[in-house]
Order: sequence, then C-alpha cells, then structure tokens
Amino acid sequence: MSNYETVVGLEVHMQINTKSKVFCECSTEFGAEPNSNTCVICTSQPGAIPILNKKAVEAIIKTGLALNFTVNKQCTFARKQYFYPDVPKNYQITQSEPPLCSNGKLAIAVDGKEKVINLTRIHLEEDAGKLVHEIGSRKLDYSLLDLNRASVGLMELVTEPELSSPQEALEFLTELRTIVRYIGASECSMEEGKMRCDVNVSVRPNGQKDLGTRVEIKNMNSISGVRDAIAYETERQIEVLSRGGKLVQETRLWEAEEGITKSMRSKEGALDYRYFPEPDLVPFNLPDSFIEELRAQVPELPKARKARLIKECALSEYDADFLTSSKQIADYYEEAVNAAKNKELAAKPLANWISTELSGKLNASGKEISESPVSSKDLSKLVSLILDGTISGKIAKTVFEEMYEKSVDPESVIKEKGLVQISDESAIIKICEEAIGESTKAVAEFKAGKERAIGAIVGLVMKKSKGQANPQIVNKILIEKLKG
Amino acid sequence: MDEILTVSVKDLRIKILSGEVKSVDAVKACYKRIKEVEPKVKAFLKLNEEQALKHAAASDKKIKSGVKCGILEGIPIAIKDNIMIKGESMTSASKYLENYVSPYDAAVIEKLKEAGAVFIGRTNMDEFAMGGSTETSAYQKTANPWDIERIPGGSSGGSAVAVSSAMAPFALGSDTGGSIRQPAGFTGIVGYKPSYGLISRYGVCALASSFDQIGSFSKNVYDTALLVSVIAGKDYRDPVCEPTEQTDYTAGLENPDTLKNLKIGIPKELSDYDTDGEILKSFEGVIKNLQLYGAEIVEISAPSYKYVPALYKVIMCAEVSANIATFDGIRYGYRSPNGISLNDEYAKSRSQSLGYEVKKRILFGTYVLGAKNYYRCYHQAQRVRTLLINDLNKALSECDFIFSPATLQMPVKFGEYLPEECDIFLIAANLGGFPGITVPCSFVKSHMPMGVHFMGKRFSDAKLFQAASAFERISGFDISKYPKI
Ligand SMILES: [Zn+2]
Repeated sequence: MSNYETVVGLEVHMQINTKSKVFCECSTEFGAEPNSNTCVICTSQPGAIPILNKKAVEAIIKTGLALNFTVNKQCTFARKQYFYPDVPKNYQITQSEPPLCSNGKLAIAVDGKEKVINLTRIHLEEDAGKLVHEIGSRKLDYSLLDLNRASVGLMELVTEPELSSPQEALEFLTELRTIVRYIGASECSMEEGKMRCDVNVSVRPNGQKDLGTRVEIKNMNSISGVRDAIAYETERQIEVLSRGGKLVQETRLWEAEEGITKSMRSKEGALDYRYFPEPDLVPFNLPDSFIEELRAQVPELPKARKARLIKECALSEYDADFLTSSKQIADYYEEAVNAAKNKELAAKPLANWISTELSGKLNASGKEISESPVSSKDLSKLVSLILDGTISGKIAKTVFEEMYEKSVDPESVIKEKGLVQISDESAIIKICEEAIGESTKAVAEFKAGKERAIGAIVGLVMKKSKGQANPQIVNKILIEKLKG
Repeated sequence: MDEILTVSVKDLRIKILSGEVKSVDAVKACYKRIKEVEPKVKAFLKLNEEQALKHAAASDKKIKSGVKCGILEGIPIAIKDNIMIKGESMTSASKYLENYVSPYDAAVIEKLKEAGAVFIGRTNMDEFAMGGSTETSAYQKTANPWDIERIPGGSSGGSAVAVSSAMAPFALGSDTGGSIRQPAGFTGIVGYKPSYGLISRYGVCALASSFDQIGSFSKNVYDTALLVSVIAGKDYRDPVCEPTEQTDYTAGLENPDTLKNLKIGIPKELSDYDTDGEILKSFEGVIKNLQLYGAEIVEISAPSYKYVPALYKVIMCAEVSANIATFDGIRYGYRSPNGISLNDEYAKSRSQSLGYEVKKRILFGTYVLGAKNYYRCYHQAQRVRTLLINDLNKALSECDFIFSPATLQMPVKFGEYLPEECDIFLIAANLGGFPGITVPCSFVKSHMPMGVHFMGKRFSDAKLFQAASAFERISGFDISKYPKI
C-alpha cells in the first residue's frame, strides 16, 4: 500500500450539439473543407458582431438539470484576451460569473459502491480554430489556419477535486458521456475532438487535508488516455516526493505512444487574460418558465431507465445495461416492445435480438442503431411471429437476414420464400415416417437406449421440410413412433 | 455653386422624384463642387464618380418609368470610411486596412441601398475613429472649410466637411464620444447621434462597442429625421439593437407650438468649466430667445459630469484594446514582411501599421484591464458610469431635454489641442446611451459657426427632432450660408 493518495479534478470541454456555431450562423459540420464553415463574424472581420445561439444555452441548461445543477438565471459574457492565431478576435468570448450552472452532482460506481462526485460548474464558451503546422517537411516557414471550428459552442464542466484514482476518472468520464449523449447536448466523440479534457492531478500523504502541488495535463482526447495519464502522473509524483524531491506546479502533456507525461515549456509569469464584460452581448435573465420548459425536455436518464426496464421487462442486469447504453438503443427497444402483440412475452426475446443479431450486424457494417435497416416495428413483428408459432426461431434467423439486407418487413419475406412453419400434424407424421425409414442406424441406436440418436432423425426431418416443420411437434411425433 | 447643392435633401428629394431635377445632375453637381473644394479641405479618401453616375442614371430611369422608388432614390450621400460597403475599400483611415475590401454591407448600407441612395465617396476620419480632429488619419488631414488652418473636429471630420462645404447633401458618420456632433458643431451643420440601440452597428468597424452609434450630418433637422426613418430599426445581427415602433421620424417637425410645451434643462455644471466667452455669451442669447418663444427654462444638475472625461477614457480605451486586437496581420490587412517569430510578427505588423493615437489607446486600455488595475480603474469607471446615468436620468425627469453649447471651445488650429472637458456634454450622451443632436445657432469669432446640443431620454429620438427643428426655426442661422473657399 502506498502512503499517498491521489486527488484528481477534471475540466471537460464538450462541443455543444447545435447545427450552427454559438456566435454566428455557420455550420458546425465535422470534416468540412478547411475554412468553408466561416463567415465575417467567426473570422472577425471589421464590423462583425456576435449573436448568441439560444439553442446552445438550452443544451447547457438541460445538461445542468440532468446533473442536479442549480441553474443561474443571469447570463453574462466576458472577453478573455490573449493573442493566438487560432483565436481570430484575439479574445475568446466566454460566459462570465455566474456560470449558467453551479453545484451539480454525478454518481459513479466504484468497486460496486456508489460515489458521488461534486461538480463545480458548467459554463458556455466558444472554441478556437485549428493550426496545422508543416512540421517535418521542408516547408517549416508557415502554418495553416482552419477556422471551421472557431466559435463553435463549448460547454466546460469543472469537477471538484474529488476523484481519487485513474479508474474513478474513467468511470466518471464514461458516465458523464453517456448522460450528455442521452440528453443530446453533445456527441462527445473524442476522436472528433468533440470532448476534450484537462486533468488536474496531485498527490498528498494519506490523511493530509491540504492539497499537494497540482499538475495540469492539457487536452486529453481519450478516456483511457486520461486513466493512463493519471496512473503515470501519480506514480511520478509519489516517486519525486518519496526521494525528497519537490514538485512544481506546471502544465504537462500526455505522450500517448510513450505512455508518459512531459513538461510543457512553462511561460514566464502567469498570463493576464484581462477579462472584461463583453459589450456586444447584453446580459439577460432566463425566465423561470424557460427553465421549466427545458426541465420537461430532459429525458429519463440511463440509470433510472435501466432500473425501470429491469422491473417492467424482467430483463437481466446485463441486457438492461446494454439496452440503456445509449438513448437511441433504449428508444428502439421500447418502441419494439410497445409494438408487440404480447409485450410481456416479447420483452425478453426482443432484448436478445437487439443485443445479439441486430447489434452484431450493425457493428459489422459500422452503423448506428438509428441507421438500422430493420425498423423497431418490423423486429417486433418478427418476434411476435415466433411467439405465435408462425415461424420457428431458426427460420426467423433466415427471415432476419433478408429483412436486414433488403430492409423489408418479415411477413413479405415469409410469403415470398414460403417459410411458414408447418404445424399440421398429418403432414409432419408423413415426413417423420419417411425419415425413420431412411435412418436405420439411428433408430437402432435409439432403441438400444441411446436417446441422443434421435437428433439425427430430427435433423433429417428438418432437412426434408426445409426447416419449416415445427420442431416441438416433430420431437413429439418421433418419440411416439419410436417408443410406440 | 450649383443651386442643386444649396437645397435641402427634403427639397432635392421632391425635385428628383418629380423629375424636375435629374439624379445624374445632382451627382454631377456634387463632383463639380468636390473638384473645386476638395483640394483645399481634403474631406474624401475615395471617390467613386463612375459608379455613382451609373447608379444615378439607373435611378433616373426608374423614376421616369414609374417603377416604385426608394425613399432616397437618386440622392447622393457621403459615407464615413469605417462603414462596410460590399466590394469597396474600407480603411478606417488606417494603414492596416489600406488594401482591405469589404466582404459585406453594413446594415445601414443595406437600408440605404434599398432606399436608392447614391454613394458618392468615402470620407476621411481619425484612424479607427480615434481622435477629435481628423488629424490622426493615416492618409490626410481634413481642414475646416470656415478656416482651413483649423481642425474640422473629429473623428467624423471628413463627413462633416463634405456636408458643410456642400460637396454632399448629407453624410453618415459614427459617434463614440461626440465624433459626429462635435465636428458638426465646428462646421455649422446638424449632427445627430441616436439612442444606443436605435440604429444597427452591424458592419461598422468597432471603436468602443458600448458607445458606438451610427449617425448623420445634414443641413437641417428634417433631413436628419428623413435619413433616420430609413436606417433605424431592429436588426437581429446587432444584439444591442432594440425594436422601436417609430418608422417616420419626420412627423411633427413643423408643429409651431413645440417650443411652448418644452421644458429645457440647462446644466448648472456649465459654469464649472472654462467656456469660451463668446460661446457663453451667444448661448445666453439663445436661452433668452427660447424663452421668448415660450419654452420653459429650468436649471438641472448632474454632479457626476465632472467624471465624464476620465471614465470615458478608461472604458473606451479598454474596449479599444480588445476591438483592435483583431488587427494582428494574420487573416487580413497589413502584415509585416520581417517578423521572425509569431510574437515578433504581431508586434511588427501592429507597430508598422497602426498610428500613434491608436497605440496610445491600446496601451492605456491594456493597462486599465490588467489584473493589478482592473478594480481600481476599469471596474471603478463602470461604477461611476452607472452613477452618471442615474444623475442624467434624474435630470431628464425634471425636463424634456438637457441643453448646452455643443462644445465649450472653438476649433483649434492644426497641432493644437482642445481641453478634454470641451466635449463633456456630448460624451455624456454616449456614456448613457442617450440621443443627442447639435444644431448650428450663430457665428462667433470672425465667422466661425457654433452649435448647441440637445440631449433627450433614451429612445426619445423623434421628440428630439421636433425640439431641434423648432429651435432651428427660431435660431436665425442661415443654413444656405456656405463657407467661401
Ligand atoms: Zn461564422
């Protein structure tokens, strides 16, 4: 056991999921041609004035409400000044005190126990553009500037320094991402830079109250990276302290390939951002009714939904976890259950179909459930057809293949291919008799007491009936015939 | 001088729309006058004669064919060089924007285009509107047509001179701290600054965003009201721009009884300052005259007038330091050819292209916003600003308008300086977002004009025009009197 404990606080930037930027009407589409999503405002031409995108404010408030924040009704903005080429105005507009949301809470599971992390704030700000440096080429004399991302809305969520292990940070970010995606406030895709994280790590001797010297690791772009960086940094800091060394408060960068953090060259003195109220954006108050309207739009969150599904649909913990891992999957599942003739019976098989067959196919083709070629209603029909005996589970798999490939409903597949299950006993008896006649060896074995031998005869019946014979009836008749 | 140039916009408009005068002839008259006078006063940075004549010809054709015409169809107007006109150069009189071409139209320009106005040229100004004399322009100094050794005032000096020397019937300017009303006063014309939020600032190169407003120069109050009827109104692209119901600002200007119903407040603080003796004498005459015509004169007081110069300087420079930061040589404008690192590139681009006054204000603004000084300087100034607004609102509850000389001194010679309290009654309007208008009233000191200033409650602009118009009728100032240059 180490004599030190780790203290971690996170600052998470999430790109707000609005179609247009936060202070102009440019598109926020990812991966567009460089500088194609720009205008006079986000390139800071003379005479340009920012206009606030109300939808961005709404997204933050919804997130705040979902995370038990207090929503502050006053909304004010400030200019944070610093010169850098990716900040076209050479100041960033950021929401100033008070933040839109303060004092939130998020519960995470740690070793099977719940731990509540206090959240300091969420505020609104604009993103910067992107500089592309021609490093490693002979063209070192220039950098390219892409302002597509400049002025895209960000929400910055800050936690209290209450996380105490790499695993907790990972749990926290995963849970946060699930919730924010559920609300639709951000896509939180780290690979597209839509969720970025600054990590503050310090260590202190067990039992000490004061925080140790803090190191900030900037711009993390993967959750596992955050976990690994905290693990590395904890070890490094303990190592320094245990040999009597001193830590310096600094900013470090995570080098994912080497698995280490490296000190960024520290600047002389702290930056003075010369904040002052943004004169172009008039402070405004959010009416209670506006906040209440948004509260009504906050969807049921994954945890509550999971508990409800387990109760209502008699699902296993595992199934419920999977189905509530995204709002889209959960919505799909519930639509399917609601469309079923017999909801109680259909609930469990639908869960299975979605978590195995459907998600398997979607994963293989790299599709989201929202792009599924099989609609929730059609999947529901398919399960109902199995439940009422129209088709066997085995046929259903064939039907499903067709449904997925051609995006058609199950009934037309069954009709077109003549796949209806044969449950007519007289027809089955005939096939069974044929099969018994052709399976001398298996019949002998069965009669000699090797009951498993019946499997071969069943297989033959199914083959002869092209898989359409009702397997339960086949079994029943064969046993009657062989034992009789 | 061509007779067309001596009529007001009000009359010119009727003559053009009726076909009595051709827009082309009006535009030609302007350029003829410009050719005579401009070499002496240097009011314009750029003229677009060819394009203006083309536009005027199109207007004439439109009028002849009976197609629905704009409110200002075919009427020439001069535009200050800090307002964007798509496809035209916009320098703000700075070297930094020497080769800059506007990618879009300012909101006021869109409205003027729709109204059919003809843009005849871009007028000179103080660099980025920083200055009170039009001497800080990177290109040329504009002279006061009444005495070409004197300043015309600033920062919209070019527009003031274009109108006062009859090169344009009216002009647009911008007013951050008296930048329209002071030069209008110095050159003997009407200068107007609207209530903050009445006219969109979209497309106007920002100086100090919380004070900037677009306004006008004209020969009389009616022409101002007509122009404002065209360019005022809500614009979603300027968040501080507020919706107003008023659409016609010319209504009620002819009412003969206006003065009888007015309560005019004279600030007691006027006597605290060293005002030019002749201005003061003339102003006392004006007050007597107003009383004679039935206006009630009351004394009001706003003790925080004394803080105006200091708090204006602090807040204006703070906003300047951020607004001008965008001119860094990266995306557009001047880029130094000899920067050796990013910071060096910034420093060289800015030091080589920005003028002395601009640099001075950036430095001062940077200083007052610094973490060490923020509360002592910037924050304190904002508190005093609130105090001043409260004072002025209280004073305005005791009268209809606050009335004062436009400036406390006459225009100085080039290179000389006006005392900083010279414009306090003008700047107070910017600090509070109040509308203000200067109207010429008389000639003092060997035929230099002087003006008076009305300041009203926020969004009382229409009423302000009525009062100013009534004053204009009794002032005895001959608006058709032009400087002999
Ligand atoms: Zn844009």
